Amino acid sequence: MKKKLLSLLMAGAMTATMFAGCGGSDGSDASADKADDAAADKADDAAADDAAADDSADKADAAADDSASAGGQKLTVWCWDPAFNIFSMNEAAKIYQKDHPDVEVEVIETPWEDVQTKLTTAATSGALDTLPDILLMQDNAFQKNVITFPDAFTDLTSSGIDFSQFAQGKTAYSVIDGKNYGVPFDNGAVVACYRTDILEQAGLTIDDFTDITWDQYIENGKKVLDATGKPLISMQAGECDLIMMMMQSAGSSLFNEDGTANITDNETLKVVMETYKELKESGVLIEVNSWDEYVSSLTTETVAGTINGCWIMASIKTSEDQSGKWGLTNMPSLVGVDGATNFSNNGGSSWAVTSNCQNTDLAYDFLKSTFAGSTELYDNIISCGALATYAPAGDSEAYAAPDEFFGGDAVSKKIVEFSTKVPSNITGVYYYEARDAVATAITNVINGGDIDAELKTAADTVNSQMQ
Amino acid sequence: MSKSSSKLSLDKKHNITGWIFLTPAALLIFCMSFIPMIQAFLLSFKMGKGNALKPAEPIFANYSRMFADTVFTQSIKNTFFYLIIQVPIMLILALILASILNNRQLRFKGLFRTMIFLPCATSLVAYAIIFRTLFANDGIVNLVLVNLGILNSPYSFLTHATSAKVIIIIGLLWRWTGYNMVFYLSGLQNIEYSIYEAAKIDGASPVQTFFRITVPLLKPTILLTAIMSTNGTLQLFDESVNLTDGGPANASITMSHYIYNMSFKYVPTFGYAAAMSFLILILVAILAFIQMKVGDKRD
Repeated sequence: MKKKLLSLLMAGAMTATMFAGCGGSDGSDASADKADDAAADKADDAAADDAAADDSADKADAAADDSASAGGQKLTVWCWDPAFNIFSMNEAAKIYQKDHPDVEVEVIETPWEDVQTKLTTAATSGALDTLPDILLMQDNAFQKNVITFPDAFTDLTSSGIDFSQFAQGKTAYSVIDGKNYGVPFDNGAVVACYRTDILEQAGLTIDDFTDITWDQYIENGKKVLDATGKPLISMQAGECDLIMMMMQSAGSSLFNEDGTANITDNETLKVVMETYKELKESGVLIEVNSWDEYVSSLTTETVAGTINGCWIMASIKTSEDQSGKWGLTNMPSLVGVDGATNFSNNGGSSWAVTSNCQNTDLAYDFLKSTFAGSTELYDNIISCGALATYAPAGDSEAYAAPDEFFGGDAVSKKIVEFSTKVPSNITGVYYYEARDAVATAITNVINGGDIDAELKTAADTVNSQMQ
Repeated sequence: MSKSSSKLSLDKKHNITGWIFLTPAALLIFCMSFIPMIQAFLLSFKMGKGNALKPAEPIFANYSRMFADTVFTQSIKNTFFYLIIQVPIMLILALILASILNNRQLRFKGLFRTMIFLPCATSLVAYAIIFRTLFANDGIVNLVLVNLGILNSPYSFLTHATSAKVIIIIGLLWRWTGYNMVFYLSGLQNIEYSIYEAAKIDGASPVQTFFRITVPLLKPTILLTAIMSTNGTLQLFDESVNLTDGGPANASITMSHYIYNMSFKYVPTFGYAAAMSFLILILVAILAFIQMKVGDKRD
């Protein structure tokens, strides 16, 4: 009998706890966290109104500290690469702590995909208090996230940060309606890297690839292919990195200023598609299946070079035995397109301050005196391949140092110079939709599809997804 | 106290005990599974991006939108392609393997059983990535085919529409055949061995035994595995994301993959994504119903 009673009690207890759990989630917007908090502070909150109950304990603390303008000197940051942006953030913290010893910066390693998912979940469920103070955001996702979730971010325009010191094409990613929402971080300026020893076998030098057009590139590529049997470049099938780089090099975008898709009658895009098709058909470009295969095509000498954001250098440099065999220059320009240049951008990220940041003055000051004001920081992080888009940093000595891997060339200085010449483009809110649709189109074009018809389909897809 | 409880009949007592044991799990399922399902259903009647949701106008807008969405219709076609080709092959293979392993004369049964079941222990993402590597341009499959002289130069399996789909099917067969085989093996344990002996004495060939005894007696298990596999294939996600990334040109994208893209990769459109999820639910329900009707003929 006793046992029975006990089991009954336990079952009862279990059901009771579950009911409590359900009760919490019944509230339309309350997150699990809040439910917990609410349960813990039941006694205190019982009399309090809704607004007070909504605030988490943390938030309340921080607000109290803020009003006293003392203590609470802590910033939490989300970023993803321990060897790169986390390292840089920690270096920035060290520099800032020299003058502000009581400030603590806590970096939480969060892969980009998780940052995006967490942000989406937090913003759609209204649980913005789960966000950190500062997060790193891919430039291509900036417009989408700020426009979709305007409540989640803080306008930095009047924060005292001097945005004019950054490359304009870079800052443009994080400007929405004329307001700055991001502090530019790493450089995604496009570089063209070539194996000079392989070019030599075809009687070419790096100068034959500097300031050239795609026509000349294909011509040179055929020479290299004849002499060595190696293609000039490899690209991941189904991704349209190269397409997007070509587009931006002429300042063209997949969207218009007003947000409508600019795909069907986009003359630049047609030229880009034709160029890409020719690259593929001539054998100068080979397509590989995955990112790993792409990187290994560089490190195992399957191809004689590549064109990508300058962060690709970190992958190239992993094969130390190839030191001195690489050369670096700018990318080819499009033929017959107005405003075509030899400069573009691929990738890169910027720091955003979330609306959950209680001590915004601290966050502004921190960013202002590190990523937007310290050449020392950029000198320190150049070792991990983080190249500045902050113009004054390019003048420093660390950037003029020759790089033996690239034949003793001062590549860092060169890249900062490239980055200042990158035409700005419009990523738009629906960047990823358009990108995937165009990738589908180019795959079909390579398989014999008609460019105009495929672009029409791509535009239809994007328009339908924009609903 | 003791008097009142003794008034309950034994039957009622058992009933109450049963309900008490059921309640925790039932409540958990209700809170964790059914409430979100109801919320998702309501969500599927809303339109808009991110947080700016408003009631759909007209009310079935999200549902009618699906059929005009070329990528989604493509994903339905792909998913059904996998379903129609893969599920029958897998179930037949599993059935054959199970009846081979059920043979009492077979030695090292445990070893074979483990080997066939082992793929189920691998993570979906891990095996998808391994398959991607196997079929890469410089992967082992191309290496073998080129060295054997079957191919002149490496064939890019994952960038051709048909071969990409076939590779997903091969992957699924590798991963799930053993899983279904275990169901059949356990079903076979329940078939009296003397029936087989009797059949043998009557001079039935192994093929006849298989079709006349094994298949009919295993019908409930076959029905179960067919419904489970259909359900699983309609919700296929990991292989599409990790093996082919939906490519080339959406030729291998599955419905769940597209729903994920719509919710997280693209600008979040949860209303539309929820509506697409409900279409999957409806499809699963219809297919399961048909299978039950076909499979449950009591002769």
